[in-house]
Amino acid sequence: MNPTLKRVIFAIAGAAAGLLISFIFFADLNKGDQNASANQSKAEKVFVPYGEKDEYYMMASGGHSGQLFVYGLPSMRKIRTVPVFTPDPATGYGYDAKSKEMLGGYTWGDFHHPAISETAGDYDGQFLFANDVGNNRVAAVDLETFHTVDIMSLPNMGGPHAGVFVTENTEYIALPTRFARPLDGQFAPLDDYESEYKGVVSMTTFDREAKKFDLAYQIVLPPWSYDLSDAGKKMSSDWIVMTTYNTEFATTNLEINASQNDRDYIVLLNWKELEKQVAAGNYKDVNGAKMIDPREHKGAIYAVPVAKSPHGVDVTPDGTRFIAAGKLAPMMTVFSFQKAFDAIEKGEFTDEKYGIPVLNYEDVMEREVDPPGALGPLHTQFDDRGNAFNTMFISSEVVKWNVDTGEVIDRQPSYFSPGHAAATEGDTVSPDGKWLVALNKIAKDNFLSVGPSHPESMDLYDISGDKMEHIMAVPVDPEPHYAQIIHRDKIKTITVYPKDEARPNSVWKQDDARIERNGNEVHVYGIAMRSRFIFDAKADRPDAVTVKQGDRVFFHMTNIDLDQDITHGFGINEYDLNFEVQPGQTSTLEFVADKAGVYPIYCTNFCSALHQEMSGYLLVEPK
Amino acid sequence: MKGKLSIASMISLLVASAITVMTIFVPWWQMKFYAPQYQEGLDIIVYPTRLAGDIDIVNGLNHYIGMALFSNESFPELQYMPYIIIAFAIAILVVALIRRKMPLYILIGSFAMGGIVGLLDMYRWLKEFGTNLDPRAPITLDPFIPPIIGKNTIANFVTNSYFSYGGYMLLLVFLLLVFPLWKDRKKA
Ligand SMILES: [Cu+2]
Repeated sequence: MNPTLKRVIFAIAGAAAGLLISFIFFADLNKGDQNASANQSKAEKVFVPYGEKDEYYMMASGGHSGQLFVYGLPSMRKIRTVPVFTPDPATGYGYDAKSKEMLGGYTWGDFHHPAISETAGDYDGQFLFANDVGNNRVAAVDLETFHTVDIMSLPNMGGPHAGVFVTENTEYIALPTRFARPLDGQFAPLDDYESEYKGVVSMTTFDREAKKFDLAYQIVLPPWSYDLSDAGKKMSSDWIVMTTYNTEFATTNLEINASQNDRDYIVLLNWKELEKQVAAGNYKDVNGAKMIDPREHKGAIYAVPVAKSPHGVDVTPDGTRFIAAGKLAPMMTVFSFQKAFDAIEKGEFTDEKYGIPVLNYEDVMEREVDPPGALGPLHTQFDDRGNAFNTMFISSEVVKWNVDTGEVIDRQPSYFSPGHAAATEGDTVSPDGKWLVALNKIAKDNFLSVGPSHPESMDLYDISGDKMEHIMAVPVDPEPHYAQIIHRDKIKTITVYPKDEARPNSVWKQDDARIERNGNEVHVYGIAMRSRFIFDAKADRPDAVTVKQGDRVFFHMTNIDLDQDITHGFGINEYDLNFEVQPGQTSTLEFVADKAGVYPIYCTNFCSALHQEMSGYLLVEPK
Repeated sequence: MKGKLSIASMISLLVASAITVMTIFVPWWQMKFYAPQYQEGLDIIVYPTRLAGDIDIVNGLNHYIGMALFSNESFPELQYMPYIIIAFAIAILVVALIRRKMPLYILIGSFAMGGIVGLLDMYRWLKEFGTNLDPRAPITLDPFIPPIIGKNTIANFVTNSYFSYGGYMLLLVFLLLVFPLWKDRKKA
């Protein structure tokens, strides 16, 4: 080779290598710097310094844990687990007499969709309602105390998955069933599915004063599966919309057999009309429920075809439209209530399915939004600027789009496979448009490994700007299906139970602590205070209780420490019993002392410097 | 009229009488407690007729050091304080109406005496509570006497004691009582 050429080639190669190295080196450095500063600004957005508090509460369902998870937003710090359908020794829930009775012997529930009570379509922050898909129940949590105050069992249901949602003024807490079953607990073979199995919607009411549910009426429907639902707002406030799947009436291998029809239905129910008919006595008594068939009442029920196997259906904040997300057909469909009302007015129905008038898809549909490659839309949330946010389970992302134009504005990945999303005040007539949390089903290796059982994960997005910004991913126990995010100003809690001297079984003065015996019943009217138990003020040992083997024992305990965060626990050694009394609270523990012997009693909730000394004895004399 | 208090002095005394009555309804003295766990502070508020504030919580905490319970019953003074106050108010009113100097001197003297006796009584109670601690209490503390005004530290608590509205109103009453002495002083 020509030495000159050689020198030139070397020079060029050297320069190129130098350029490459410098490119890689500086480029990387630059990128690192940018990431660091971007992460810093993300951290600053969610850092809540000591002494300040999060702006929002996120109330996340705990799925098959049967619990409610309370988070602070934007920090994403978990604040509390509230037991709803599941016993919780840490708070004595399911152990003390009242909550034990409320749980009715069940040890779990499957809580999917929380709903905060509403007034005029806005969260009022008083109560939160919970569905139990596992055991057909509905529960209410009092947001003054974050305690579950009532649980009601629902007859004729097969897993109320499509609830709970509340009507505009919480007139009803509605729960449509997921699985069809024969009514009244009857037996019928699966061969008789079409004729004997029914889908049912439970319409429950809640008395806020008495803190009690009532089952107002139930709606009997074809044995489709009802997946999700929402209540209308404003111009659509009389209506309920529900998505269906398995309109094929499959009774086995639903994965295949319930995915055959190209279209399933959204069912529109006029609850105002049904309420009127029930009041007029147009119902049958079925297993204690007032059962009404909407197909017998003109104007009470309609169906609209929708893209195959939809999941979520969500009403826009202004109440004018409902958006269905087609789980297996990758698109969001915007339907217009006004168009539906017009079609109903004109009597334009394509056909009837099992007695339900079916509206023309084209008559009701306003637009279809199908971002390329966006797969598995599950659920829609809203901001305050006319935008919708859809979770995409399969393509693992959140898509922001404009409801009026259908324009796709932004897409951001989620980590991984989001189910529902929750936006700040996102289900109300006036969303806040600040934050969005995607509730993911799969975490994979996002967090430190704890073996094969992974946490779920949640993504926090800042949605205040034009583009969404992914802020962080956070682990969570299994498994939030849905959450609602409410501004902190709407939640008004108490810190100490009021000193109510008229409360049954309460004792407020140390001298009044006493034991009353009545046959084989022993009632202890006791006090818990820092740092002792007083069961019998007059006894030599006020903190010892002697009973006979086989006695039914009642510990009615009042915590007279009316001081913030001074909770006392109450555990009995080897008796598998534990509960707690919060400041100013009176609770009862009831059990049969069937084991003879001596059993230490001690305070299980660390309360004071002398907490360790807060103890006593249960002495059970042998028969 | 010769030897009589001036109209201005009479008004001063009438106002003093009215303020004296008003003190029945406001707190006279207060103690505020702070601890790491109680950054918002706990209060003992002393009205001439009753105790108020976080008495139950303070009692709950005090049992650790064996301090006796605070309650309205533990201070018998609270039962007859309103009568003493009313009696003073009436006496001031009478002096205002008869407008004579000698009764005013007696009034000022007894008012000052009352104040001194009151302060001594408070000191007696503070000493009683702070030094008569139950020897069997879980936490043994050296006896202490909280100050009537000022700061003190007991275990994890810092206490601040101070006079409240009623205390300052009584001071004002005193000034209004002595005002006539200056106003109607003998001109040389
Ligand atoms: Cu305790």
